[in-house]
This record gives sequence, structure tokens and C-alpha cells, in this order.
Amino acid sequence: MTSYPDFQDSADLSARRESITILRETFTKLVAMIERGDEPRLVLPKRTLDNTVYDKRRKLLLLGDKKITRRLLDEGETRRFMQTVLIASIIYEALINNEYPTIRDLFYRGKHTIPPVLANDEPVNTWDEQKESDTVLCDIEVLTGKLREEMLILSKEKGKVVGNMRLRSGGDVIDLSKMGHGAYAIEPTPDLIEFLDYDAEYVLVVEKDAVFQQLHRIGYWRKHKCLLLTSAGQPDRATRRFVRRLNEELKLPVYVLTDSDPYGFYIYSVFKIGSITLSYESERLATPSARFLGVMMSDVFGDDPPLEEVSSEETEDADKVGIKRELKERYVEALRKFGYKWRLAKKPYLSSEERKRFIIKATHRDVARAIELVGYDVAKALLGKEPKIRSGKGGEKVKRSPGYPWFKDPKWIKEIGIFLLTRSKLEIEAVVSKGLKFLTEEYLPRKIETKDWLE
Amino acid sequence: MRTSSPETFKQLSPSEFFYRNKEIAGFTSPARALYQTVRELLENALDATEAHGIHPEIIVSILREDPSNLNHITVEVEDNGIGLPPQVIPDAFGRVLYSSKYKYKQSRGMYGLGAKMAILYGQLTTGKPFEVYSSTPRSKNIYYFKLLIDVKKNEPIVLERGVWEKRSNWHGTIARLTIEGEWNRRTREQVLVYVKRTAIVTPYADITLLMPALDSEERGVNDVEVHRFPRVTELMPKPPRESKPHPMGVDLEMLKLMLAETRSRTLTSFLTREFQRIGEKKAGEILRSAGLEPDRDPKSLTRDELKNLYKALRAESYISPTSDSLSPIGPEIIEVGLRSAFEPEFVAVITRKPKSYGGHPFVVEGGIAYGGKLLERLDKVALESLRGQRGPLVVLLRYANKIPLLHDERADVAWTVVDPEKFPWRATYKLNENDVVVVLIHIASTKVPYKGVGKESIAQVEPIEQEVRVLVQELARRLRDFLSSKRRESEAMERLATFLKYIPEVSRSLALIASDGSRENGERLAKALEEKLKSLAYEIVGLKKKDDVMRGERA
Repeated sequence: MTSYPDFQDSADLSARRESITILRETFTKLVAMIERGDEPRLVLPKRTLDNTVYDKRRKLLLLGDKKITRRLLDEGETRRFMQTVLIASIIYEALINNEYPTIRDLFYRGKHTIPPVLANDEPVNTWDEQKESDTVLCDIEVLTGKLREEMLILSKEKGKVVGNMRLRSGGDVIDLSKMGHGAYAIEPTPDLIEFLDYDAEYVLVVEKDAVFQQLHRIGYWRKHKCLLLTSAGQPDRATRRFVRRLNEELKLPVYVLTDSDPYGFYIYSVFKIGSITLSYESERLATPSARFLGVMMSDVFGDDPPLEEVSSEETEDADKVGIKRELKERYVEALRKFGYKWRLAKKPYLSSEERKRFIIKATHRDVARAIELVGYDVAKALLGKEPKIRSGKGGEKVKRSPGYPWFKDPKWIKEIGIFLLTRSKLEIEAVVSKGLKFLTEEYLPRKIETKDWLE
Repeated sequence: MRTSSPETFKQLSPSEFFYRNKEIAGFTSPARALYQTVRELLENALDATEAHGIHPEIIVSILREDPSNLNHITVEVEDNGIGLPPQVIPDAFGRVLYSSKYKYKQSRGMYGLGAKMAILYGQLTTGKPFEVYSSTPRSKNIYYFKLLIDVKKNEPIVLERGVWEKRSNWHGTIARLTIEGEWNRRTREQVLVYVKRTAIVTPYADITLLMPALDSEERGVNDVEVHRFPRVTELMPKPPRESKPHPMGVDLEMLKLMLAETRSRTLTSFLTREFQRIGEKKAGEILRSAGLEPDRDPKSLTRDELKNLYKALRAESYISPTSDSLSPIGPEIIEVGLRSAFEPEFVAVITRKPKSYGGHPFVVEGGIAYGGKLLERLDKVALESLRGQRGPLVVLLRYANKIPLLHDERADVAWTVVDPEKFPWRATYKLNENDVVVVLIHIASTKVPYKGVGKESIAQVEPIEQEVRVLVQELARRLRDFLSSKRRESEAMERLATFLKYIPEVSRSLALIASDGSRENGERLAKALEEKLKSLAYEIVGLKKKDDVMRGERA
């Protein structure tokens, strides 16, 4: 083992040393507490929604000041305490043994059976699912202030990138323009990457891997001088960190292209702001200036959807036209109410014929997510009634979500308003079906040129 | 209009009267008669011993002596009591209404009628005489009598008598009679349960029960089934003391008898000498309000004067009757009895203070038993009474003057109180639906207010019901306290177990980090941390480290 460091990146070694030090400091304190005869307690930042704050200036989702104390001798916490200490010891052991465990490895290394104390008790496992070990891993991250990447914990790579750029990773120089039909898989520890040189004007992040491949094969990034990147669905941490570094260090604007539905909007939101469950890492992972290029609902319908395409399926009333007209009036009223000052004159990219072919009906889960994004007040104004979603047992319940501040922007309200009005969604693939050329030569360039994006 | 008087009674011999009304005493069928006979003889045997401070040693034998007549069943009961002097034996057994029990104190049988009913019943159904062996502690001899009762004359006929010189210091009585009875599973069960329940409240007695083994009889063999109820404590209840009647406890007939039999020459002296709680002053007040001269001869009263005296007597208020005449079993003995009968997890027992109703003192006492082996120890009668109960299930053991009551349970005052449909066993006393409790209630009194002539249930007399209720409430409260502290303890144990389960894992993990991977240091540190943390865990749940909870802990 001793000779391995010679082959390793020096960036790895210093990260490793730092993490070892901080873990040892943190947990030796607990040992001291016990030796003094005190109950061991861990004080760590609270990782819940009520301790997540949106920093408006920096446009970041951050962890607040609230702390929790985790006690060993409290029957509600003892198991979680054990798991926290257990995962710390596994990480520590991996660090000093010069290893690179994945989060799956951590799960397996820690999973074993604890014998019962009482004769009539069942034996229990330290943990049963990876979800449990992942959760305490997050706890260790907030407790030590070290992200998993800095503790050299790897995760499955999902993000890919191509473009005119050379970078150094693990001592090798990689040319992102010479990846053939493949692409460079963004490594799990993107902080150890060194950017060498590049010739690109912006970064295009595509949610769907399939669309990424189509754009890559057609040579989009060569022609349009960009770095082309995909997160293949929900972005993992490495992809987000990589995008952030491109934006922050190279000052490249970042455009995000997702499906036109509330899930797509949320994926953009994760790139831009961060996710609630991992808000403590937003500071390093989020890209606040990322732009949502599309596909917007207004790209599909224009911002004044035709009356016949307004969805009236909510009602069984015979007077459907009357209902539709009423819904549209609500939509316009709501836009004014929440500060939309512009004329509703945007022309759609799709004709009504094309819409008929490509549009998919929204599900009740899409609607629920849309309400979650804008929140109760906005949704109520848009719908003209209490926003209800389907509850588990087939009934309905009012959804009282506070909404995310950045989606309460008038332009976003318009997009979600159109969604709720039409109850329709559109996948990027549908835009490709209209013609790959349409996407690469018309849609994307014109959107960027006319600054038709959302922030 | 009252027409009956002692004189008219005597015209019809008491023996004849009782024989004609034999159902009053419970001799309604051969099966019932057998059960009743065992009861009467066993109760007599207990009264002959414990009331005189003797630890009872009793052998009850039920025998089929005559193979030619399977329905002739002999019952023999031997006790180690005070015995009877030979001159009173014929009358004691052969003359109805002759008894040592006319005195005013608590005893099992009243007036000794039961045994004579059995003798009469046996004589009339089988024609066989009654036999008795007896010896008093001071006597040098054992006396034997073989008797029949002359029903018409209410006189004993002595068929044989015998005398033996005693070679040991044995004393007591052996009574033996043969009746027409029926020995079957049901009678066997009744007799067995009766003796078992008797043994629960007389744990100071040694009782042996011998009966024909039904199983063997089916195979054509005459085996004997033996049940032993050995003495489990030396403690005995304080014997009752005789006392005079309380003025509120006598009725007109009794007053008349007392006046006829008194040796007092004046009414004042009659009242103060024959009653408790009446002094000179009280007697003066009574006689004044009855309009009678204090120095009138008690035997000279006219019928109207008698009535006036009775009314005046009842109109006064008195101090409650003395409880000297009572012999409660006492909490210690009840506890021993319940514990040895059921081996329960929990027992609470209470003897209430004496109270009175209508001039009769009474004491209510009892116990509650829960858990342990209770369920498997329930007798057949108890199991039957559980049928149809919705739970929590209540097994009620009723006793009146130490006699177990087996029948008419639902009519009894004690059932009125403990009935799970009415008593808040669940709501207030926190029992679960599937909990089973045994509630023992003993009512001791110089006059137990039985319902009806069967003497199987006690009437809903207000002061008694009230006492029973307070007793059961207090017992139930103690059970609840026990259960809740048990629950608390088991919760503490569960918490501790959770902590102890995770502590080794925590210690090992921390030691690994703190000892920087050195295996040897790590193990030593882990052990030290584990010990410290375990002590802390015990401290936090409030249990001592030496407690039983360690039993299940694995090394």
C-alpha cells in the first residue's frame, strides 16, 4: 500500500489528509466526553425545510443556523447516533487505508447484525437500506463541513460532457473534443479537475441523455462553440459541481434545456438553486446564474393559449366554453396580480397542428408538482379555487405548499399558469421530432439570440 | 296475623318438620344430598377445631361400601377437634335443635341443623344408622355410638355404644353415615371444588379428600382418588368470642324466647344482662317509652306489652354491635391461601373494619390475585363462570363465614360489585380485555343475609354492598399500581436494552477513530468506553446495574 501514493494525484492526498484530521478532531471530542462521564452528544446543523433559507442576493438555497443535538441515550435517537458514529468510522478507516469507497461500499461495510440484549428480542441490522447510510453520510458532511467528494467517497457517474476543452484529471490530460462518439464522464470528485484551455462561448446542459447524443453526433458544439453536457435526468452532485466550476471559474453562461413540464422545471431549479435535502452543499454545487432556456410552456402555446386548447376537463359543466373563458381570465388576472407587466404577445414555436401531435396530457402528479413549485397562493389565484391534489386513498386534499421563492417570479408564474391552464406537457424529444435541424438551427440559436430564457 | 308459636312447633316434631321440608336444607336430589352431606360434616369438623385454636386435620372419605347397592354412599369425616363428652353425643346428633351453636357468634353452620338433616336423610333413604367416635382432649377414653333418630319423638335411639381406652393423645370426632346418593362426574367436581375452595381460606388446615375413582369404576375396579390439601401456614384466625345479641339484631320471636328463658327478675336487669350495648340509663329510656315498670317480671308481659317493648327497643339508637363475635380470616391468611392455590404473580389482600347492618356485625375482607400460574389453576366452576364474560375476566370466589358459595353467583351481592359489565376494571383500573383476575370476597357475620333458603348467595344489603364495593375498589387500585409500576419497569428495561444493544457498536466505532487504526489500542479503548457508556445507560433509565435486567444480557 505504501507505494500507492506515488501513483496518486497530489490533490487526492491533501484532500485525504484534511478529511482525516477533521474527522479525528470531531470524534475524539466524543471520546473525551465519555471519559469524563458525560453522555456523548453530537451537535449538527439541522437539515430540514424549516432550516433551509433562500439567500435572495446570492440566489442560493442555504442551510440556516438551527442546530440539533443528537444523543446516544435517548431511545428515539440512539439508533441514528450509532449509525452516525458507524459511518464516520467507516469513512475514517477508508481514508487512512487510502481507499475510495462508493456510497454503496459504505452501506455494505457498515451493514452487520447486532445481537439482541434481551432474550426475547430479535437481532437488528446496523442498517437495512442504503437510504439509511446515505442519510447519516449527509449528517457527517454537515457535521464536519466536508463534502463526500473531499472525503474521497465516490458515486456512480451520470454526467457527461463534450466540447472544445482540455482538462487534467488524475494526472492525465483529456481533450473533450476527441471523445469520438462517446463523451467524458464527469468524475465523482470534480474539484480535483484542472481546466487547461477551452474554446467555447457557453455551456448547454441537456436533461435527456438521448437528446445530448443527437446534438453531439450532429456536431452542435463544434458549430455553435459550446460545451455540451447532460445530467441524464436528475443531476448528481459531480455534474452540478462541474457546471458550477465552468460558470464560476471560466465565466461561461449556462443554459439548461429540459422537458416542458414541472419536473423539467425542477431539474433546472436543482442546477440553479440546489435541492432542499442537500441545501448545505448548494454553496458549492449550485449555479445561481444558470438560465432556463426551454422548453418553455410559452414556446409551445405562446403566452396567450388559444381558448380551445384550455383544459376544461376539471368540470362536468355543459358550458365548457364559458368555463374555459373564465379560466383564461383568471390566468391573466393572476399574472397582473403577481406583477407581470408585459403584453401577452409571444408567438409559439409549434403550430396548433404540431401541438396536437406532440403534446402529452399532464398527470395529477405533474399538477401536484406545479402547485408545489409556485405554492398555494399563486396556484389558488391561477385556478380560482383551492389547489387540490389527489390524496393516497383516491380522495382529494388541499395542497398547502409555500412554494419556492424563485418560482414566484412573474415570468415563471406565467409558465406554470400556462401549464395549469392547458394541463399539457411536452418532452424535448417532441421538438426533435419536428426536426433535429429545427432544434439546432432554429430553436436554440433564436432563443439564445433573443434572450428568451428564464432566470 | 301470627299464628305460629314455639308450642305449635313442638306439636310437630322438629325432626319431622325438617324432614318434610328437606329441600330447605338442600337435600333435593341424591346427587345434591351427597354434596350437602359432605359440606355439613366438613363444616362441623372445621368449627370443632379452629374455633378452639386447634390446627384442623381433617379426613373426608366418600366410600361405596356396599357393592350390592351402588347408590348407598358412605360419608365419613374425621377431625382432631375438641370432641364431645359421651353424655351429650346422642342428643347432639340425634335431637334436632340441640346444639352448641345457639350462641351469638360467627360459625359456619347455624344451629347445627345441617348435620342432623344429613343423618335424617341417610336414615330415611337407606335405613342405616349413624355412627360416631369421639373423644375430648381430657378424656382417657374414646366413645362410640351407633344411633338412629326417632323422627316422631325427636329422640335419639342408641343401637350400640362402645368405650375404648385411649392409647394415644388423639382427640376429635369421626362421624360416619350412609345416604342414598349419586356419585358421578358432576358430584365429584362439586365436592372437589368445594373442598379446594375451603382449603384456600383455611390454609392452616390439613385436609385429605378420598373419593371413589370414577375412571377405575368404569374399568370395574374400586380405586380411590386421593386429594391432599396440606397445611401451608401455622397462622390461624382469632376465634370468635361469644357475645350477647345486639338490640337491633333480634326479632319479635327471639325477644319472646329470650324473655321466656331469662333468669332475670326485672325488665331492667333483663335488658342490661341479656343484650349488648344497653346500660342502666338506656334500659330506663326503653322501658319508659314502652310504658313498662322497670321492675316488672320479664315473664309476666302480655302480648301487647311484649309488642310495645319490641317497638321501644327498635326505636332507640345504639352503639354498633361489637365485632368480638366475628372471626375474620385476616389478610395474612387470605394471602397465603391465594398464593398457594394459584401461585399468582400478584396478590393484594384487605380486611375491612367491622360494620353492622340491622344490629348484626359483619366484616368484609378479601383479596385479588393476578398473573403467574393463575389461569392453569382455575377450578371447573371458575372456568364455567368465565364463559360468556367479555373481559377483563373476573373469577369470583365467594365465602360466607368461611364457607365457599358455589351456586347462584350472578345473584350474589359480590357479583353485583365485581361484574365486569359494571365495575370499571378497564376504564379506571387499566386492565386489558384478556386479563384474568381472581377476586376473593369473604363476608363474615353473626347473621349472613342469604338470599332464599338455598344459602348460596348473599342479598344486596346496602351496608354490605357498600363495604364490598370499597374493598374491591381498593384491591383493584393496588393491582393497577402494581401493573403500572411493572409496565414502567418493563419500559425502562426496554429502553436500557436498546441502549445496551447499540453501545458496543458506538464504542468500537469511536475507538477506531480515536486510536488511529491501532487494533490493540482500539480494543482496549472500546472496552473502556463500553463500560462507561453502560453505566451511564443504567443511570439514565433509573435501574441499578445489579438488577435482574442483567439476566438476559449477553457477554
